[in-house]
Amino acid sequence: MFLLWIVLGFLGFAVGCGSSGSTPSGIPGGGGSTTANVLAIAVDGGPTANQANGAIYPNGAFASATICAPGSSSNCVTVDHLLVDTGSMGLRVLQSAISSLSLPAVNASNGPAAWECVSFVDGSLLWGQVEAATVILSGETAKNIPIQVVSSSGTNIPSTCSNGGVNENTQALLGANGILGVGLEPIDCGAACDPNGGNASPPVPAYYTCSSAPCSPAFVTESNQVTNPVAVLPVDNNGVIVELPALSSSAATVTGNLVFGIGTESNNQLPSTAKAFSLSCDEFFTTMFENQTYSIDPLTCTGSAGGFIDSGSNALFFPNVNDSIQICPTSTPVGDLSSFYCPPSLLNLSAVNQDPNTLYQATTNFSVGNAQTLFTSASTTSNAAFSTLAGPVPSTSGFDWGLPFFYGKNVFTAMDLGQGVQSAYWAY
Amino acid sequence: MKALFKRSIPFTAWFMVAIGCIGLSCPARAALGGDVTSVEADRAHLKATSLEVRPAGAYEVHAIQAPGGTVINEYVSSAGKVFAVAWHGPFIPEMQQILGSYFQQYSAALGAKRPYGRRPLNIQQPGLVVQTGGHMRAYVGRAYLPEMLPSGLKADDIK
Repeated sequence: MFLLWIVLGFLGFAVGCGSSGSTPSGIPGGGGSTTANVLAIAVDGGPTANQANGAIYPNGAFASATICAPGSSSNCVTVDHLLVDTGSMGLRVLQSAISSLSLPAVNASNGPAAWECVSFVDGSLLWGQVEAATVILSGETAKNIPIQVVSSSGTNIPSTCSNGGVNENTQALLGANGILGVGLEPIDCGAACDPNGGNASPPVPAYYTCSSAPCSPAFVTESNQVTNPVAVLPVDNNGVIVELPALSSSAATVTGNLVFGIGTESNNQLPSTAKAFSLSCDEFFTTMFENQTYSIDPLTCTGSAGGFIDSGSNALFFPNVNDSIQICPTSTPVGDLSSFYCPPSLLNLSAVNQDPNTLYQATTNFSVGNAQTLFTSASTTSNAAFSTLAGPVPSTSGFDWGLPFFYGKNVFTAMDLGQGVQSAYWAY
Repeated sequence: MKALFKRSIPFTAWFMVAIGCIGLSCPARAALGGDVTSVEADRAHLKATSLEVRPAGAYEVHAIQAPGGTVINEYVSSAGKVFAVAWHGPFIPEMQQILGSYFQQYSAALGAKRPYGRRPLNIQQPGLVVQTGGHMRAYVGRAYLPEMLPSGLKADDIK
């Protein structure tokens, strides 16, 4: 029934729209694409891969964007190697990558300029000011949106932000020039960070003001929160498609596309053969693997996580059921690999993804290779794309279908636009 | 029944709250490895709400919820020690508070050289395990002291 709803919904979108893959009109944009809603992406090892003593960023999909001061078409910088991340929301860019730009501050609800702390599951963080920019992605423009400019100085970081982790405020630390978050929500925090969202005090780590030291937690109205650039595109604003070719093992580079909009142009229609999954709590579908079921409680929206799809995760991360897969060592020539699996030989596995509402099921086959061998063996050490990278997580973390899942599929990430408009879903 | 299996909170913890001991002016008597009074210290410092105490045989689970919605489950042994902490929710909890004296070991592990990429943590050291997962707005994690797990509780049950 749900699939029928999606198709009908998109007929509604398509009928009113006339354009079908327009060409850019001379606005500066990234990549070699000639279609306005298509942004070229490359799994190419990142900006550090070809630097002396630089390291490769494995399974990072990167794209370029042009960032302008709001209202200006000349005061712009094109930034390459932004990590395309369907698991986060908002554009975050290193201050060092846009040093010539002067962008206006975006304010917290009590007045002063807003700063933000973004934490990642590996304990790393990004700290920087919220500023307004116009962001051009291929031939499409996200006008005057809050972005996060990651502070080069990295000083005055409040302890609730640093949390013991590394502030990745340089290209050498982050392995990228920024993160292009095009995930399930239009903004990165939502009601919890809004002064009228029901919280007595601002949550941490999230937004702060720094008019006096130390910076203190602050509310920011939803309209001033860091925004998913796709959400404000004029037409193609309801989601994205990541299109990457199949990859049987590993390769030096893989190129593909990030397409804006679902069902809004002739090049972004959801095919009738697509497997679509509605989500519980706008976050997870159900994944079944090795007699375990990973799902979130739809009533409380707390507890264990379910299955999810995330281009920003650079491997498949799933629980090591019965501790049956060997984990890589902490000490290797390329550093600590204990977040990856190192089975002695290739494992061919499968899992079932299930729609939590319709109970529709689809089986996905995948393989797990030895991460240490892939990173250090002469034949693959210079590669950036790996289809068999995987690693362990606790069972409560659910099943993370990271970038290896994307090779050979068109993966649709549809945004939560509110009841009656569009519920968040994934399809492939 | 031992006193700690009742819901009453020891006097010392109430005293700290009564004197307005919230935030950095408090002794950092945070949870992991601490005794059961540190659960209330966490709750006060994090401005969290106490949700419930769930007895489970050889241990009990104290659940608190931080502003913003993250739930933190603190596992207390029958000897009154916090041997595990688990969290899930939209915001990562204050690790210095909930890891207590184990925070330095955790922080050092975060600084280890690793390949680039966003990925979960899997710190498995003698005496400390910290594992995380999830993504923006939906973080999950746990930290526990492996030698202190009561018999019958598997690591995977810490959630």
